Amino acid sequence: MAQQLRKHFGRFIVVALASALFGSITSAQTWLDFKRPAPTAADWAALAKLPDFTGVWESPLGATSLVIPPGAAKPAPEKTASTSRFPTFPMRQPLPLTPEWAAKVQLLREHAGQDTTAANCLPPGMPEIMGQPYPYEFLLTPGQVTIVGEAYMIVRHIYTDGRTLPEDPDPTFFGTSIGHWEGQTLVAESVGFSPQTTIAPDVPHSDKMKIIERFSLTDPDTMSIETTVIDPVAFTQPYTTTRMLKRHANWTIDEYICEQNNRNSVTRDGKAEVDTTPPPPPEPNSK
Amino acid sequence: MKQVKANLKQAALFVILLGALIVPAGTAIAHHGFADYDMTRHDTIVGKVRAFQWTNPHTWLWLDVPDGKGGIILYAFEGMSPNYLGRRGWTKDSLEPGDKITVNFFPFKDPAKHGGTLASATKDNGEVLNNFVPAGAR
Repeated sequence: MAQQLRKHFGRFIVVALASALFGSITSAQTWLDFKRPAPTAADWAALAKLPDFTGVWESPLGATSLVIPPGAAKPAPEKTASTSRFPTFPMRQPLPLTPEWAAKVQLLREHAGQDTTAANCLPPGMPEIMGQPYPYEFLLTPGQVTIVGEAYMIVRHIYTDGRTLPEDPDPTFFGTSIGHWEGQTLVAESVGFSPQTTIAPDVPHSDKMKIIERFSLTDPDTMSIETTVIDPVAFTQPYTTTRMLKRHANWTIDEYICEQNNRNSVTRDGKAEVDTTPPPPPEPNSK
Repeated sequence: MKQVKANLKQAALFVILLGALIVPAGTAIAHHGFADYDMTRHDTIVGKVRAFQWTNPHTWLWLDVPDGKGGIILYAFEGMSPNYLGRRGWTKDSLEPGDKITVNFFPFKDPAKHGGTLASATKDNGEVLNNFVPAGAR
């Protein structure tokens, strides 16, 4: 007991010393201490020099391979079981998992449920939330880029006002983000992700994950988002993918209330279910 | 003429998508996977619309299908969201109770369940409503 107390006291001294030494630095980096400067007319005018990210963008990937042309021959049932879950974050090469993480992923896959909790309307986190087959809207205001994702009606705030990333942010689905402009490219850095979110289905991240996104226009109506996932515990090296979005000048972001009429679900033990109960017949003279 | 155009469009899609009926990894549908559906098979059925829900996260369609013995079997079909379909030619009034339609679908794995994931609905007037639309096609 006495030994334990001494150990605790020792730790307290170390912490107290560290606080005294670095207190001024860390307090300057506290997110809440950052006072955002009021935008000036020059700040608003400066936005016009940035690339035009405004409007609504969607990846032309998406659910495009499920069209059955009329008269198409019915395919014979496949011998191999079709996979029922698809990565929403495009993966071109295998993820560079460390041996420890590969074993973890293997174990998770062996015990994987039939679906993810997105079936229960829980949104995916970063980076998967940026790989949805739904549009995104970009809003540029002084000191901030705001991304509105239609699927699950999500909002990401990327602060470009010069603040630094917090030392120990609360873990959240989309992380805490700052950004800066490198010429015509927006570079966003995000940290602090909830353990409820995954890099890809059954691929968790460690609490060290950092995501760097580089947003740029490759032509006036095409946006490239190069996403690099850095996770020294999960990955042997950073992993980069690029997703291209097309601007749709005639689109707006629509409402998406996932719980409006969600008939899909996944149970705690991973069983996917669908409720096909029809609605009651309309009342007579209701229309 | 509209029908011919629609057919040509379908034919073009057929060429593009021939052999692509099996869902490749990387296909993203958002919200949920296909655990309950057999995406390697598809089927066709004719019936009368009982109800159509234009709601998120999915549209739902119920079809009264004659069982050939004087009775009716109720089929249920899950479709893409109104957000997705609304940008691809559908409206909330695309399917109305009483409409006679032909439905292409990926069936439920559970043989006790009638219906599945909608692929397309063809109306009596020849109008084809696709549930999945390739990029760039309208």
